[in-house]
Amino acid sequence: MASKAITSTIRRALSKPHGVVSRRHHLSTAAAAATDYEDESIMMKGVRISGRPLYLDMQATTPIDPRVFDAMNDSGINEYGNPHSRTHLYGWEAENAVEVARIQVAKLIGASPKEIIFMSGATEANNTAVKGVMHFYKDTKKHVITTQTEHKCVLDSCRHLQQEGFEVTYLPVKTDGLVDLEMLREAIRPDTGLVSIMAVNNEIGVVQPMEEIGQICKEHNVPFHTDAAQAIGKIPVDVKKWNIGLMSMSAHKIYGPKGVGALFVRRRPRIRLEPLMNGGGQERGLRSGTAATQQILGFGAACDLAMKEMEYDEKWIKGLQERLLNGIREKLDGVVVNGSMESRYSGNLNLSFAYVEGESLLMGLKEVAVSSGSACTSASLEPSYVLRALGVDEDMAHTSIRFGIGRFTTKEEIDKAVELTVKQVVKLREMSPLYEMVKEGIDIKNIQWSQH
Amino acid sequence: MVSYRSEVVSICRALFRARRHQYPHYNLREYTKRRTLDGFRMNKKLTDQSKVNEAYAEAKAQLVVLERSVKLYSLYPPKTKNIMEF
Repeated sequence: MASKAITSTIRRALSKPHGVVSRRHHLSTAAAAATDYEDESIMMKGVRISGRPLYLDMQATTPIDPRVFDAMNDSGINEYGNPHSRTHLYGWEAENAVEVARIQVAKLIGASPKEIIFMSGATEANNTAVKGVMHFYKDTKKHVITTQTEHKCVLDSCRHLQQEGFEVTYLPVKTDGLVDLEMLREAIRPDTGLVSIMAVNNEIGVVQPMEEIGQICKEHNVPFHTDAAQAIGKIPVDVKKWNIGLMSMSAHKIYGPKGVGALFVRRRPRIRLEPLMNGGGQERGLRSGTAATQQILGFGAACDLAMKEMEYDEKWIKGLQERLLNGIREKLDGVVVNGSMESRYSGNLNLSFAYVEGESLLMGLKEVAVSSGSACTSASLEPSYVLRALGVDEDMAHTSIRFGIGRFTTKEEIDKAVELTVKQVVKLREMSPLYEMVKEGIDIKNIQWSQH
Repeated sequence: MVSYRSEVVSICRALFRARRHQYPHYNLREYTKRRTLDGFRMNKKLTDQSKVNEAYAEAKAQLVVLERSVKLYSLYPPKTKNIMEF
């Protein structure tokens, strides 16, 4: 009798579909720490928000597109072999899958599949490109040229090379974020081994004049490396037109999985480099190690999707960017866009609000997931080095916010972001004595602050 | 010449009504609605039969992926509502 009651309870509990389990039985510790069961708001790090914030940080990472996720599942579950096993079906299947992904990635950038090396992300690709090329040619080439606005991994690799004895020129950028081509031309020396300039900047969204830079590098016969993690799938990329020798790519910026990226290494004319990962000689000897089949498939599917959807997404995102900028500019003055407006990827909008303190603005915007200008250097209190390289004043650099718009952003989200930002900025400016003085016509820069 | 009008209309209607075509996640749900509608609109004016066949086949393939994806995503619904859903 009792056993019947027990079995019927168990059957009832098991028959409830997983998604309908009541919140009180959630066993995951993250949920227990994060959710407050009483009014379903989230309490984390001392901040209470009423629901999940709206996501406007597409430059940091993007959600996986469900179509990409779907492409990863079948193969991930069934084709689990090591692609480098040559002796049985599992290995052959996995190798086929990786080759299909390779073709998809190559098509997006206009390269041949043999020129794509899969890596663990754009950081590894940047490291391999910068250090690998210079170490290979270390007897003859001692000079590297890069810009001041590059991604941290490139700058850090260059610093590592400096410690080894190479010379590095960090080109300054103009106030709109673009590289000065004359300066680049003058900086190239006979012993320059590499020019590394990123295609689309992750903080300010500026698109560099890639064709012209490629032309200069071709004239002087210097390999041209670009960090195109933010560029592929968003702006049309053609490695032949841009005359690129090496290109770093990342999957999680184009709605793919995290943990995979690729390096394009040109074969004609050949670019030689020393591998960073030594081992069994996989991936043309340039990156040993078992290929992460499931992630690579996701990357391939994401590139394929990006190629098909690029035009549609570009139109949508451009419309949203205009809506965001006009919405904010209508209600606020003293809004500055950091970086060139003409040569820009529309999904990245970096705004500075004058007379507002940056940290308090961000703390007030907890219902919008955005990042400040100093995202990559968020551990320190310094404003971002990119904005400093643009020549932005310290106070404006502190109040910069980067809005990242993507494929899944909706018009209502943009309207809500505008509303919240405007409300927060107005509130902070009302409290700010500096703003009062500006309104009265006093020029802040000429004030003599007295000490008490 | 095969006319797909009735099938296309029925697919369109089903896509917007059926719960099995809607993600529990706010952003994905809105994107699917918008993209499907725009997809049908963009292909509305096709006259070349082979292109029409291609578009129809692609729509059917996407439908299979969508249903499977929604089923999987519904097994892991978000634990709190999105701010936009209040």
